[in-house]
Order: sequence, then structure tokens, then C-alpha cells
Amino acid sequence: MIAGFLSFLLALQAASASPASQHLHAGLLAAQGGRLDAAIAEFKQATELDPKLAPAFLDLGEALIEKHDYAAAVAPLKRALEISPNIEGAHRLLGYALLAQGYASDAVPHLEKAHDEDVLGIALLEADRLQDAVIVLQKALARHPNDPDLLYYYGRACGQLSKEVFDDLEARFPESARAHEMMAQDYAALRDVGGAEREFLEALRLRPQTADLHLELGGLYARAQQWDKAEEQFRLEAQLQPGSPEAAYRLGESLMQLGKFHEARLALVRSDELKHDMPETLYLLGKAGNLDGDDTLAEKSWLHLLTIENNTSLAGQAHFGLAGIYRKQGRTADVDREMELSRQLQGTQDQTQDSPK
Amino acid sequence: MGRRITRRDFLESLAAMGVGLPMFDAKHPRGLDFQHVNSPTPQKYLIETMGGGVALLDYNNDGLLDIFLVNSGQLTNPMHTPETFDRHDPRNWNRLYRQNPDGSFTDVTKEAGLTNAGDGNYGMGVAVGDYDNDGFPDIYVTNYGKNTLYHNNGDGTFTDVTAKAGVEAGGWSCSAGFFDYDNDGHLDLFVTRYLLWDTQHSKICGQEWQTYCPPAEFPATTNILYCNRGDGTFEDVSKASGISAVKGRSLGVAFADYDDDRFTDIFVANDGMRQFLFHNNGDGTFTERGLEAGAALTADGKPLSGMGTVFQDYDNDGRPDILVTVLPREVYALFHNDGNGLFSYRSLQAGLGLLSAASSGWGVGLEDFDNDGWKDLFVAQSHVLDNVEEIDHMLHYKEPPLLALNQNGRFERSDSGVASAIAGRGAAFGDLNNDGWMDVVVTSLGGEPLVLLNNRGGRAAAHWLTISLRGTRSNRDGLGAKVQVNGQTRFATTAGSYVSASDKRLHFGLGGTDTAKVEIRWPSGTHQVVENVKANQILEIREADKP
Repeated sequence: MIAGFLSFLLALQAASASPASQHLHAGLLAAQGGRLDAAIAEFKQATELDPKLAPAFLDLGEALIEKHDYAAAVAPLKRALEISPNIEGAHRLLGYALLAQGYASDAVPHLEKAHDEDVLGIALLEADRLQDAVIVLQKALARHPNDPDLLYYYGRACGQLSKEVFDDLEARFPESARAHEMMAQDYAALRDVGGAEREFLEALRLRPQTADLHLELGGLYARAQQWDKAEEQFRLEAQLQPGSPEAAYRLGESLMQLGKFHEARLALVRSDELKHDMPETLYLLGKAGNLDGDDTLAEKSWLHLLTIENNTSLAGQAHFGLAGIYRKQGRTADVDREMELSRQLQGTQDQTQDSPK
Repeated sequence: MGRRITRRDFLESLAAMGVGLPMFDAKHPRGLDFQHVNSPTPQKYLIETMGGGVALLDYNNDGLLDIFLVNSGQLTNPMHTPETFDRHDPRNWNRLYRQNPDGSFTDVTKEAGLTNAGDGNYGMGVAVGDYDNDGFPDIYVTNYGKNTLYHNNGDGTFTDVTAKAGVEAGGWSCSAGFFDYDNDGHLDLFVTRYLLWDTQHSKICGQEWQTYCPPAEFPATTNILYCNRGDGTFEDVSKASGISAVKGRSLGVAFADYDDDRFTDIFVANDGMRQFLFHNNGDGTFTERGLEAGAALTADGKPLSGMGTVFQDYDNDGRPDILVTVLPREVYALFHNDGNGLFSYRSLQAGLGLLSAASSGWGVGLEDFDNDGWKDLFVAQSHVLDNVEEIDHMLHYKEPPLLALNQNGRFERSDSGVASAIAGRGAAFGDLNNDGWMDVVVTSLGGEPLVLLNNRGGRAAAHWLTISLRGTRSNRDGLGAKVQVNGQTRFATTAGSYVSASDKRLHFGLGGTDTAKVEIRWPSGTHQVVENVKANQILEIREADKP
């Protein structure tokens, strides 16, 4: 900003070498040299000598912002706008100074006038104008998609807006199925199984056909290792949403834990049909086949998985499973190869020997 | 005929069948006043949460099982060297309780000469075996510090013979067990060691909640194999035998001949890494074959938090299987012996996914508690972290023990009769009142032990047979013998579980059958068959003089 105005001021100086202009010129040179205290002193002298010299107020405000003295910057910037309402940069700087001090609502109109969407989005977020913040930050992100700060504030705004909407739902419809579902999710996040279970069941009582409720309740039981209850819920979800690959997958997973491998296999085949090439489904399908005595299906599923991903821990598990099949078949070289790949991918260091010095 | 069955008649019939009754009466028998001292500190010394050994043995050969309980000791905050753990304070002694004919117990620690647990020893576990074949069971106590071998003098007293025998080990020992790896008739000794750890190099883990550190925070270490020379001394053959060729974080050990080559093999439960299966090569050496045998990792190739273990045949196919207790969100690992030296992971098939995925297991046994001819599962349970509930509301520090009855190879939860949750650690198995129904003693970290008396005796109709082996050419207790009764198989051992030793006698449930055919393959190689054995007795079988 200061550099931008330099040519203008030099021209002014040439036209009229008033004392105020001389101080303003000196201030600009000091600011250019990084001597902010000297610049501020010169700008102040300029404003005292000519209380209507808007650029002097503007540059004083900017120098103070550069010094992080935001409180002091506000008055000269406001004065600059009083003298010259359209002076370039003043609204933006005043918006910064106000926002930096926590006066987000006051900063918003200035930033709007400055069309500074990046900072305006943050100000709107801080002013709790969440819907506006989300819109503005989305626009800013469209221009700067790789800006981590913008992504952070956008995420925060979305999260807070979501919470605000849910709070509103809970406040206005406390006995609705959705309110109970949300309460259940809150309890689940706190790992309070009893509380979450109670709320999920109430939500289901109020609206039994709600999609995903059984899935969520089943997930809660699964995290608590209550696999028999989890199976029941996943089965209900799979009946409710026969086209849901996730419901079929989770049903298969719970059946595996219960040792019902044949049923698990059927559910996992269904999940695979509904959504192809999911590595987790393929891994579990291979495991179900293996434990159900069908090594052909197991090998096929695991080899297919390895064509999709071959450098993850899951791939390591698939290699371990293949080693088991080949061991039964007496294919020693294949066993050794698969075991080595499994060890590499699962990161299981051999801790049975001393580390080499 | 014709009389209508009243409700009372019906309920009495159910009771007579044992239906609906919990399996055990949980008791604190008169005279058994032991209080385990682990003295937890804010320093979260790892040893605090690992002790609790218990043994069932008949030290005075009066036919009644006695109870030996390992105490841990006093810790200070923080610990300073030299460490004593105040083992001279009677509150911190190990204790031997003699069982009286009326089922009560008398503390005989002092008169038995067992008051000195050794300065610098923080107690962990116990192994029992008659290492000198004099007919009286000897006691080996494992410690963080040095281990102690107490020779049973046969007159109700014991003598500390550690130095003479050369079995003090050192470091941090946990489970141990006697077995005869070279079939020379003298019991050898295997000692698991957990970590290279000491109080001066301890760490606290966790952030908001300070917790015990996971084992991977500390270096692995070697286990020890002592060979019994037969003259009252042992030789450390860890290196020569190949046992120390691999380092582990070992907590549990169990023995059986898994490949039917007549030499007893060793399974070691390791914490947070792969498990070890030491194949006995029959020439004094062992080869660790866990990975290639399929008994080292889960079905997903993941390591286990192995703690306790048992090595017996759960599905009556004649081959010993392996069960390992672990932490929650793993599943107790069941490695089924498929023959040909290979195992397969069968936890889920056996129902353990439902039974154990939220629990932490320690002491473990496969015993036929309902005498139906299938070995049932008992596990002492409790999380390793005493503040786990603050960290994860879905888990519990104290848990009731798990009792799961074996229904043709699949385990189903049953009411153990233990209503309250405890910090279970050690578990020893035996028939305390000689009624033919297996009982359990469970220790509770920092608490009182629970005696679980099987209450089916006299109610249910099932028959049983208990066999006491008397080796002549083999070791005197016949440890390592493969005993088959009416299609069931047991390997004679006092080891297994976690830091505990069980009754050396072999118990078989016979269901509705009142006679048995007993087939024994002694460690010496002698094959012996006893036909038409009447049920419901404790039978001593003496090893035949000729093979």
C-alpha cells in the first residue's frame, strides 16, 4: 500500500511542497526503509499540520497495523474515510484492524466494501453469521483452493453451522426421532454405550423406518464388541435398505465375528455386487471364504484385492491369508514370498532379534 | 404313574440336572485370609499390574489340595535402589495354606519355612513340580528380581535351594513350568521373562490420563530353559537348546507334544508380538516354528497381546490345541491343531468373537467343569490399565471371570456364579474337595483370592474319573504323559494359565458313561492301557515296569 502510494505522493510533493506533504514524504521513505517508528512520527506530524490530508491518516493507520498496534490504527483509518470516503484501501485496513481486535461485526461492512472475501469470510464466521460465512468462504476457496487457512475456516464454519442447525432442531423438536438420533450420536461420540443405545432405540420407536438408524446402532454395538446385537441391527438395516452395500458389508462383518461364515459370505458377496472393488469387502469376503472352507473364493478375492491396492496394511493381510492357503498346499516358496510381503506391508518388525548396531 | 408333577417337583428335577444353577459357589473359605499386595503408585511401574500367582498342590500328600499364593510387595513413589519391596513384612509374604478335612484352610507359611521371599523380589508367579522325584511337590516362585526354588522336605517344611540348584534367573520372570523336555525322568524348568525393564528405567505413558506403558516401549528379552541334571542342580541350557535364539515379551507358557513325536513342545504367549511355538527336536534343541506352524499371529496376520495360555485338546480330536488370552478388541486366540505340524486360527468358529472381544484375559484353563466329556473354558479377566474406564468408557478394569461351556467344540457363555467384577490375574484348577467336579482358585490383583467350588457335585448325573500318575521310569508325576480316556485326551502338566500352577492330577468328565478305557503314553515311551475302569474315583496309575 505504502509503495503504491509513493508515486502519487511524489507527484503531490512536486506540485505542492507543503510542510505536511514533506512529512508525509519523509514518512513514506522511512516506512520503505523499514523504520516504522520514524514513519509513524512523520505521518503524525503530517496529520497534525494538515488535518484534512487523508493519505497521511491512511498511511499512519497502515504503519500502525504493521506494528501490530491495531487499537491505535482504528482512529486514523476512520478519519481517512471521513475525509475521503472512497480512498482506496482504507476500508480493508480498517476491517483488518477491527477484526484483529475481535470486533468482527464492525469489521464486516468495511471488508464487504473492500470486496476482500478471504478475510470477510473469517469475519462473518467470528460474527456468528455462519450461513454468510460458508457462502463467502466457498467463493474464496474457489479462487484459492489450496489455501490451508481458508480450508480450515471453511471447515469450521460448516461445522458450526451444522451444530447450530442441530441445536435448533433439538430445541424446537426435542421429542422428534431426529433429535433422539442426534442425542444418540452425541452419546456415542462420548463412548457412552448405554446412553447412545437408549436414544437410538427411542428414535427407532418413533420412526422405525428411518434409514441408517439401525446401521448406526449396529455400529455402536460393534465398537462395544457386542457382536450379537450388532448383527441384529445390521440385518434390520440390510432389510430396510437392500441396496446398501454398507449395510450388507457390516452385516457380513458381524456374522464373521459370530463365526457364521457361510451367512457372512453371502452378505459380503451381496455387498460386493452392490459396490465393486471395495478393498475392505474383498478382504473380508476372502476371509469368509477361507474360514468357510472355500480357499478358491478366498484366493480369488485376495488376489483381486491386490490388483486394486498393493501397498497397504490391508494388502499385507491379504498376503498373510494367501500364505495360509499356500501353506496348506505345501507351496513353500509361495508361502515365503507371501509372508515376506505381509511382513513388509503390515510393518511388523521382527522384534525377536537384537537390532543391528 | 398318574401323579401330576407339581411345580416343586419340576424345579427339583431341574436342580438335579444342574439346569439354571451357576457353576460355582464363590467363596472365601475360613482361614484363607490372603490379601495380595501390589501397592500401585503414580509412577505406573509396570510390575504393579502383572502379579498374582497361585498354585494348587498337595504339599503334604494328605490327599487334599493346598493353596500357595504369591504376593508382590511394597513399592514406593518413586522407587530408590536398593529395592527391597519390604518382603520381610508379613503382609508381603507369599503364603501357603493347608487345606483341612472340613474344607477350611490353615496358614502354614511360617512352619513351612516359606516366610523369606527374598529382598529385592517383587513377586509374580509360581510353578510346581517334583524336580527330585522324592514324591513331594516342590515350589518355584518367579519374581521381578531373582526367582526362588523351595525344595519340599517331605515333613511339611521347605528349604530354599535356589543357589544350589542354580535357577535364580534374574530380570523379570513371569510364568514358569516344570516339564521333561529330554524324557530323562527328571523335570526341567522353563521360565518366561517379560521385558528388559527396571524401576530406574520405567516410563509413564498416556497424556491426559497417565497409564502403564505398552510392552513395545521396552526391549524384548530371552526366556530361560534349565536342564535338570538329576542331582539337585540345573544347567542353564537356554543358548545350547536354541531357546534364547529369539527374544520375546513372554508372559505365559504351556507344554504339550503337538506333533506326536513323543517330545514335549513349548508354547509361549508373548505380549504385543508374535507368539512362540518351540518345537522339541528330540536332541536337546528346539526350533521356534510359530510362524510356519500358523500359531504366531491372528488370521489377519496381526500380533497378539498374549498373556495366559493353555495347550490342551478342546475338540477331542486327540491333538493339543492352543488358547491364548489377550486384551480387548482382540479375540482370545484359539489355534486349532490340524495335524502335520500345522495350526489354524479358529477363534471365531469356536465362538470366542462374541465371548471375548471386549475382555482382557489372564489365567486360563480348559477343564471339563460339567463332566460332559468336553473341556470348557475358564478365564480370569481384567484390563491391564487400572484407569481404563477414564480412557475408554466401553472397557472395564474389573471384570467377572468368563466361564464358557464347550458344546461340541463351540464355547457358549455360562453363569460362573461370580457376581462381582474383580481384577482377575492368576487361575489354578483342581478338585479341591475331591468330589469329582473341577474347582478354580482365581487371584485378584491387590485383593483377596476367590475359591470357586463347583456346585454340580451330587446334583448332576454325569460321571467322572480323576487320574493320578505315578511315574517309575518317567518323572514321578508323569508330567508330559498323553492320557486318553474314552476319546478324550489330556497332556499331564501343572503349567499353563498365567503365573499359576494347577493340580497335577488329570480330570475327565465321562458324561453318562460309568466305565472308562484309559490309555497312557508315558514320557519314557511306555504305552499302557487300563480297561474297564469304574467311574467316579480318583485312580492312581503306576507306570508299567516294561514298555
